[in-house]
Amino acid sequence: MAESEEEVDVLVQRVVKDITIAFKRNPNIDEIGVIPCPEARYNRSPIVLVDNKLGVESWCVKFLLPYVHNKLLLYRQRKHWLDREALVDITCTLLLLNPDFTTAWNVRKELLQCGVLNPERDLYLGKLALTKFPKSPETWIHRRWVLQQILRQGHSRKQEQGEAEHAEMSQQLSDHLARTLHQEMKVCCDAACRYPSNYNAWSHRIWVLQHMAMGNIKVFHDELSSMRLWVSMHVSDHSGFHYRQFLLKELITELSQTQASTTITTTATTDSPQHCPNSLHHHGHSQANGELSGAEAGEEARQLSFTTVLQLFHQEMELCSDLIQSFPGHETLWSHRRHVFYLWHHWRKEHQLHCSSNGGSESVSVKDGDPGLQTVSAQSCAGRKCGESLNGQRNASEAMEVDGVSLPDPRDSKRLKRGVLLPDPPTLPSEYSFVSSILDKCCNPEQRRFALAYKKWLDTVIGQQP
Amino acid sequence: MTAQGTQVKDVIIKPDAPSALLLDKHADYIAAYGSKKDDYEYTLSEYLRMSGIYWGLTVMDLMGQLPRMNRQEIVDFIKACQHECGGISASIGHDPHLLYTLSAVQILCLYDSADALDVDKVVEYIKGLQQEDGSFAGDKWGEIDTRFSFCAVATLALLGKMDTINVDKAVEFVLSCMNFDGGFGCRPGSESHAGQIYCCTGFLSLTGQLHQINADLLGWWLCERQLPSGGLNGRPEKLPDVCYSWWVLASLKIIGRIHWIDKAKLRTFILACQDEETGGFADRPGDMVDPFHTLFGIAGLSLLGDEQIKPVNPVLCMPEDVLKRVDVQPDLLS
Ligand SMILES: [Zn+2]
Repeated sequence: MAESEEEVDVLVQRVVKDITIAFKRNPNIDEIGVIPCPEARYNRSPIVLVDNKLGVESWCVKFLLPYVHNKLLLYRQRKHWLDREALVDITCTLLLLNPDFTTAWNVRKELLQCGVLNPERDLYLGKLALTKFPKSPETWIHRRWVLQQILRQGHSRKQEQGEAEHAEMSQQLSDHLARTLHQEMKVCCDAACRYPSNYNAWSHRIWVLQHMAMGNIKVFHDELSSMRLWVSMHVSDHSGFHYRQFLLKELITELSQTQASTTITTTATTDSPQHCPNSLHHHGHSQANGELSGAEAGEEARQLSFTTVLQLFHQEMELCSDLIQSFPGHETLWSHRRHVFYLWHHWRKEHQLHCSSNGGSESVSVKDGDPGLQTVSAQSCAGRKCGESLNGQRNASEAMEVDGVSLPDPRDSKRLKRGVLLPDPPTLPSEYSFVSSILDKCCNPEQRRFALAYKKWLDTVIGQQP
Repeated sequence: MTAQGTQVKDVIIKPDAPSALLLDKHADYIAAYGSKKDDYEYTLSEYLRMSGIYWGLTVMDLMGQLPRMNRQEIVDFIKACQHECGGISASIGHDPHLLYTLSAVQILCLYDSADALDVDKVVEYIKGLQQEDGSFAGDKWGEIDTRFSFCAVATLALLGKMDTINVDKAVEFVLSCMNFDGGFGCRPGSESHAGQIYCCTGFLSLTGQLHQINADLLGWWLCERQLPSGGLNGRPEKLPDVCYSWWVLASLKIIGRIHWIDKAKLRTFILACQDEETGGFADRPGDMVDPFHTLFGIAGLSLLGDEQIKPVNPVLCMPEDVLKRVDVQPDLLS
């Protein structure tokens, strides 16, 4: 084919238009792709729309991309004028074909700033680009910028409102933010399924929580619960497991603050350390206080947080043990074990420090084999034999976990008084015995190698710490 | 469901894979690469052109072939890419960014002509991107990443202007991205990643803060990246790759632990990634070659001690003789 420049111009303009029309006709397009097709078919558009999937026939991409690419660069150098409408269409086509073209996203940022585009529309374009290019760093970067705009808009709208309108307004805002948050989680999940250990998708997911849900125990806990099945089905996805580690760490930090602050004041209303005016603020404190009041509530909340932390660690180690045994030879799972045990080890050390500085009479110490555990629940130790097997531990935790992995409800805290079986915390000896049990049973060479490396890690990293 | 198999994710190096270094082929490949400007692929990668030129020129210099490239054309191109704000873009008509500002300054150092740029404006640009918490945005739109912290200090170090930013704050931010495994991620709380680790160890080297690293712990994590094929991956259960081999190897060199990996096996892996017909290196044996992996293949072999290649600096990925000339000697742990 030896098309003249003019012919290419006409062809490409038609294709850009066809793409725009396709989006107008079907606002539910949810995936894009290139259809392998080396030759043009007479009198037929290379844009194909089937079942909400938008396809571009491959023969036209080699004309289409250079054309929209050069058009945009000429505009950027002020050598060629494009109106706003044309800019929107051209950057859309360009980014669906080459989403790492940073400058095209920047043009859209400018269009967004002057109100030609709205944030939701750009989040949608990015979502489509990610269906074909799930790693595209520039697409994720643009998303974060758009989300910042949404957060900022919400913030300034809040300030504009009078007192009376304020309550309704902030309800609307937080509904909107909750929807946006939910949608981001979905976009991240799709991209994570399309490309294993997708660093950009998972670090974006962390960023979203850090900027939109910091201090919100419920969101973090829901994420942890919903990720449980996902990681079990993606046992080599190191990024997915790292995300779990992040959730666990944040939850434990937040819950430990509940513990610390309720010791000082029973009507804790302190803010989270990272103050985000527009995040979906929802505090563990008020939740934990529930219907109770006074010193009793303080003590109950403290015990509850403590129990929750213990449960979280226990459940995570259980999950990890199960997966290691079911799927031998995965480095990711052993790496997860290191991280979870490390978190536990440090939480325990810090917790002991905190308690002893408070005088110690009420201390809830969890030192290995320390009788302090009994201050939380006398029966927790009484009902448990020493050196119980892994299975024994699991039964104990199932008895307590009435609704799976959900957070204990404040009303359930009465169960604490009746005495609830607390799970065994992981200990250095229990980790060594886990390694031995793997080495005894397993002949998979990779599994053995990772088990030995974990043992060496326990010896050197954990064992040598004061 | 993905990857439930028990076999290790790795490649098998075939017995007939290249095992000798084909320097002439690589030089021809790079020299020819820049002349295919109408290529569709060339358009597709224009958004990173400045870095592409840095990869090509650096690998040519390491092979002693820099004079084959068109110096004047390149210097003029770079000048045309400097913007009003002082920042430099990937190509003409693109927007300025720290990534390409560093690449441009690296190229000009190879040519000993940093004064082709308005250096004061470059410095102002970088200074303006530092945030209150010490981090750096990549451009005026505000994305934060430890990669950009590295770009900022590497550019300033090459220009001899490190004192223009708040170095203490910058260090504080990078250290806040350190993880329990001794590694670093893109932001606080993010997963350790070999590319980010390279940027952060390089950053701490240039700012004289390598003592803040737990070298044994990080060295351990880095060594665990070596797979049975000899190649290195960037994170657990990823495939080995020539570019990650460089980032891991360079980080190990910076923290003084390069002897902890099997160098001979890594050399075999890197050599197997050459294309005997076209020249150039691919990410893995048998894949398509590109200038990016060609630089990191050659640079890796240099760090492993190949004497046909000029010694490379592990922090800046530039020939040591060039850094001696601009008087930049980043710290290394021993
Ligand atoms: Zn690579």
